Amino acid sequence: MALLELASVNTFYGRSHILFDVSLSVGKGEVVSLLGRNGAGKSTTFRSIIGLTPPQTGEVIFKGERISGMRAFRICRKGVGFVPEDRRCFPDLTVRENLEVAVRREKQTSSPWTVEKVYSLFPRLQEREKNLGSQLSGGEQQMLTIARTLMTNPDLLLLDEPSEGLAPMIVALLADMIIRIRAEGVTVLLAEQNLHFCAKVADRGYVIDKGSVKYEGKISDLLGNEEIKEKYLAV
Amino acid sequence: MTGFLDISFLTVQVLSALRLAAFLFLISSGLTLIFGVLNILNFAHGALYMLGAYFMFWVTSQVTGPGGFFLAMAMAPLGVALIGMILEMGLLRRIYIQEEIYQLLLTYALVLIIDDLAKIVFGAEYKSIPKPAFLEGAITLFGGTVPTYTILVVVIAPTVAALLWYLLYRTKTGKVIRATSSDREMADALGINMKALFTLVFAFGAVLAGFGGALAGPARTVFPGVGTEVIIECFVVVVIGGLGNLWGALVGSLLIGALETVGIIVFPEFEMGLIYLLMVAVLVVRPWGLFGKPLKIKALSEKNLSFESQEISPVHFSSRPWLWVIPVVLLLIFPAFAGRFYQYLLTQIFVAALMAVAFNLLLGTTGLLSFGQAAFFGVGAYTVGLLLTKTGTGTMPALGLSLFTSAVAASVIGFFCVRLTGVHFAMLTLAFGQLIFAIAFKWYGFTGGDNGIQGIPVREIPLAGLGLLDIGSTKSMYYFVLVVAGLAVAFLRRVRSSPFGATLKAIRENGQRASYLGINVTLYQWTAFVIAGTFTGLAGGLFALMERSISPEIIHWTKSADPVLMTIIGGIYTFVGPAVGAVVLIVLNSYIVAWTEYWALVLGMVLLLLVLLLPGGVIGFVNEKARDYLTRSGWIRRWLFSKSATS
Repeated sequence: MALLELASVNTFYGRSHILFDVSLSVGKGEVVSLLGRNGAGKSTTFRSIIGLTPPQTGEVIFKGERISGMRAFRICRKGVGFVPEDRRCFPDLTVRENLEVAVRREKQTSSPWTVEKVYSLFPRLQEREKNLGSQLSGGEQQMLTIARTLMTNPDLLLLDEPSEGLAPMIVALLADMIIRIRAEGVTVLLAEQNLHFCAKVADRGYVIDKGSVKYEGKISDLLGNEEIKEKYLAV
Repeated sequence: MTGFLDISFLTVQVLSALRLAAFLFLISSGLTLIFGVLNILNFAHGALYMLGAYFMFWVTSQVTGPGGFFLAMAMAPLGVALIGMILEMGLLRRIYIQEEIYQLLLTYALVLIIDDLAKIVFGAEYKSIPKPAFLEGAITLFGGTVPTYTILVVVIAPTVAALLWYLLYRTKTGKVIRATSSDREMADALGINMKALFTLVFAFGAVLAGFGGALAGPARTVFPGVGTEVIIECFVVVVIGGLGNLWGALVGSLLIGALETVGIIVFPEFEMGLIYLLMVAVLVVRPWGLFGKPLKIKALSEKNLSFESQEISPVHFSSRPWLWVIPVVLLLIFPAFAGRFYQYLLTQIFVAALMAVAFNLLLGTTGLLSFGQAAFFGVGAYTVGLLLTKTGTGTMPALGLSLFTSAVAASVIGFFCVRLTGVHFAMLTLAFGQLIFAIAFKWYGFTGGDNGIQGIPVREIPLAGLGLLDIGSTKSMYYFVLVVAGLAVAFLRRVRSSPFGATLKAIRENGQRASYLGINVTLYQWTAFVIAGTFTGLAGGLFALMERSISPEIIHWTKSADPVLMTIIGGIYTFVGPAVGAVVLIVLNSYIVAWTEYWALVLGMVLLLLVLLLPGGVIGFVNEKARDYLTRSGWIRRWLFSKSATS
């Protein structure tokens, strides 16, 4: 059984229809990527899953339970962690406080994430522990939001364009971190525009365009599929 | 002024300033906390303060002695917290998704209701609360005599501030509160239960207000309506400090405490105006307050889009202009059928309707909530009143000059206000309004101070070659006001449906996108502000003529609420809405006042129901229902919509 299952999800902003019958599934332990250009519907898919913009029709099933229609905080407490694309650290809280407010589900998890454990994954955050969220660089903010979401001990991590706007060196570092997070038993759904970044970390991929899924398959197959790359991805 | 160098004098003054600051801080810290997390500027916070004081009064009257005093001190905050929780869970929670104005209005309705309920339960008179004997006396400090109770207050407030700091910076709940106040959605996605947190924060803010009331009660007095005085001072404090910022509230309280204390000694005639002057000065230099940050612009998806559809009326007067003839003819022949009372009532309605329609050019059309329209009404009224009583100016020139003076006032005030948006805009207009109120109230030599102006002569109007027009009688005044206000309303209608009006609507919908189109948003907003202010001034001038006496009361901020209420009652996104609201409000008032003294209670209930059930106002509701009905019957639809489809 898949960990996460989307069945014909349709999502609207006000009166505008954004997602059209989006269906996808993520198995336990996988890293799956959701590829598409700007405005293709990647973020809306994530917002539909976490419940910030709930779908109007269709179902989101997580661990066999229907979560669509639940409030975001409930979905988070079920074990879905969301890292938004625009990062959104709490600017007035220190790095440590940013991590502390997110502590959740410690008892449901066998070896829960602790502040020390995320510091060992992101040593840079420990150095900046007492700095405010607003004083961090872009790369540090990205690390902090990922670390913060890990504190909620998610079974599934939704990562929205983590590589966007970061220096190539940091992006390489980020790929390592995703692999280490996966090794800790966290399943990852990764939204990206950057196919080569996905190729380093993901097994399977979905290509989304204009709010509907256009392609589904192994990343290695996708790398060789010039037609899809040409049509839906900016490579 | 050698007194200032005297150490005993200084001690007494410093402590009295600190005492005032202490009270202000206790109340405004709760206010700013609630704003920070819930994004609601809680008008009812002053009413919660009042309830705290009444709890204190009630408990100490049941249990006497020092035991009763301390029991009351503990019970009052808890009692107020309970009431706060009920209000949040029962009422406020329902309107978080709606626009700011509905939230402000709901808390304003609560003020009206709670004030009148307090009057029913405790009576209208001032109550004083006994202090236990050991807090009754005074001690000598550096040669100055200071009441013992002042020392208690000055010690307690910093203790509360320290506790608040500990709570917000050292506990998990506090950190969660701070996180939520900077990014609600993210906090939600991280598993924080927003509903529960909102109730908690509102109840906690209520605890602070209740405690402030309990502590201040024995030092001051308590009476129904004390909350409306307190809340305005607290608005000033939190706006100066920066909305939602606790340190801002602390610094703001100290500033206002010091300023009022110094003001009473140095500048007693204008003490009241000083704090508004300070607020204006701070906001002009730092628009978001000393410690504040710009508020994020609400995304369009967060707004309730359904109201905008109510703007579309099923009956298109513009395509069938002759439909307007019916109400006009009815109004013209009205005095033939109705007595003087009704003629006077309708004249009142005309004036109020003009004010409300002018105001709605700002709120409904441009999306700016002004809470200082009474200032322009007052400028217009005083211009006419002063010119007619102190000079030999004719009626028409005086009315014309009232247009001019209010236009000047609106251009100056608007220049500063339109640089702000949302709640900050509302607060700055409020401050300017209160500043003008303070001038009218205190400047005896010119405005007559709180006596106002009585016996304004209404001179006959010379008509070129046709003799003199006397508008002294009720009936002729009815026609005079009908014509003047009618022409003004027709002009405002023209403005709204012009390309200029369409641009204003675009700014309301999305100011940022409008500016990307090359529209000078600030200039348009300023122009709308000046037009609205000018016609509000004209309404004030007409008011002075028909009432023949004016008092500073007409400039007080509670009068600025009138056009807001009328607009919301009638319907914010329609042109006639505010006028309909004026009819409803004035007719309701004149009938309800006849059978109960609790007019505020009734008005509060009406507002509450309206905000919860008919957020589009009467006209919005009628439009919606009528459209549903008309589109079902084919021939009516064809008849009504045939022309509008092509126009």
